[in-house]
Amino acid sequence: MTARWVAVAVSTAVQRVSGDRGGMLVTLGFYVAVVGTLAALWAAAAEASGGSVAGYDAAALAWYIVASEAATVALNVRMIEGIGDDIGSGAIAVELLRPAPVLGLRMATEVGRALPRLAVCVAGGAVLGVATVGPPPSAAGALLAVPALVLAIACNIAAQHAFAGLAFWIRDATSAWYLYQKLVFIAGGMLIPVEVFPAALQAVVKALPFIAMSYVPARLLSGAVEPQLLVLQAFWLVVLCALAVAVFSAGQRRLQVVGG
Amino acid sequence: MLLATVRGAFAEAWANRQSFWLQVGAMAVNDLAWVAFWLLFFNRVANVRGWDVGRVLLLFAVLTTVAGVVLGVFANARRLGRLAAEGQLDAVLGLPVRPLPYLLLRRVEAANLGDVLFGGLLFAAAGAPSPQRVLLYVVGSIAGIVLLTGFLVTVGSLAFFGGNGEAGELGFHAILLLAGYPVDVFAGGMKLMLYTVLPAALVAAVPARLVDAFDVRAAGLLAGAAAIFALLGWATFTLGLRRYTSGAVWTRA
Repeated sequence: MTARWVAVAVSTAVQRVSGDRGGMLVTLGFYVAVVGTLAALWAAAAEASGGSVAGYDAAALAWYIVASEAATVALNVRMIEGIGDDIGSGAIAVELLRPAPVLGLRMATEVGRALPRLAVCVAGGAVLGVATVGPPPSAAGALLAVPALVLAIACNIAAQHAFAGLAFWIRDATSAWYLYQKLVFIAGGMLIPVEVFPAALQAVVKALPFIAMSYVPARLLSGAVEPQLLVLQAFWLVVLCALAVAVFSAGQRRLQVVGG
Repeated sequence: MLLATVRGAFAEAWANRQSFWLQVGAMAVNDLAWVAFWLLFFNRVANVRGWDVGRVLLLFAVLTTVAGVVLGVFANARRLGRLAAEGQLDAVLGLPVRPLPYLLLRRVEAANLGDVLFGGLLFAAAGAPSPQRVLLYVVGSIAGIVLLTGFLVTVGSLAFFGGNGEAGELGFHAILLLAGYPVDVFAGGMKLMLYTVLPAALVAAVPARLVDAFDVRAAGLLAGAAAIFALLGWATFTLGLRRYTSGAVWTRA
């Protein structure tokens, strides 16, 4: 039963997003613009630093950005805000009537929405990368980056639901969204490789779950062959799912007290 | 009438003060994250094609000021395409005012007012303010505001001629994304584009450069470009409005 509703939620979302050609084109256009801009910035940085920055040369940095941006652009950018609105307005109460867990259904749907966009971004990024800096630095690293991208998305979705669950208490998750987004941008290594940080900050950032959401696939696609990073992502996925379940369970009990 | 519109828009944004300050604060956190990014970046890379940390923070101060005013005070500038495509202009056309100024002033976004505040504070902290630099920062920001508003009105008004407003959304995201980076990291055709059809370089990079090293020719080009985009926005909207078809939707626009 559980496997069935997960499969239905994922496949329905995949079909819905795949059918929206205009939306996919906008996602691809935005992704290419962001990757082109950041790759140009980091190429200029590498050139100004004698060919490499923190061990990454211009090609590695370009592939880093291809993966880090794909892992984030593929997601629904206003997910936290949307979940918060549904909780704050009480609309989520209707979902409690379904014979399936609210959180599980929502997360499966978001994964389904993200997968087609991820495929389009990765394809666009691969073409852009090969055309500008040549193939990825390591074929093994590129192969490891594929599951890492899917795990990154799953971790991000789980964490966003945990953050958005704050709306059960504060009734508006907009400010939580701003804060979360910037944590992924910086601490997640989306804009900047973690190795560029000062040593003390690197240690802090590497102990946080945000690196599972962008840095790990980016690090792998930039040429590092470090399969242990996939284990780290799996660990954070379990932790973040457990956190989201705890927040939603407590929040749903509170919602019943408020009256929905 | 326009003054009353501005007063009404500000009163509406200010009505829920807790929400107002929460949104302003959230935007300040958002902007601080970008400052953190540039500090980390320039901690490792001293200088990128003539841009160091001081000049990039100055660029960011101008950008947040410009974007804050355009998206905060003239908030409908980025929504024009959707309003036109969805036939939501009926309520405006029935009023005894010029539609474009009224539309631009009708809505205030509290969150983006946080950008204006942040831009001013960042300039005060990192822009080495002196009377001359403050004057150049203010005048350069005004030029950027006129140019960005004109650009957003132009791409938004394309919805009158076809599509459903995606051109406006794409133009909005593209110009703000590209305006936030030192223009000299780009080269060739891309750089040319940033000074012409997608004038991201003129929104913040050129005004910031003028604050650091004033140049009459560059200032004249910036003023001319701002005037051209303002005129282009007005002309595209005016011509497009003749093709407007009501959606029979009565909204406040």
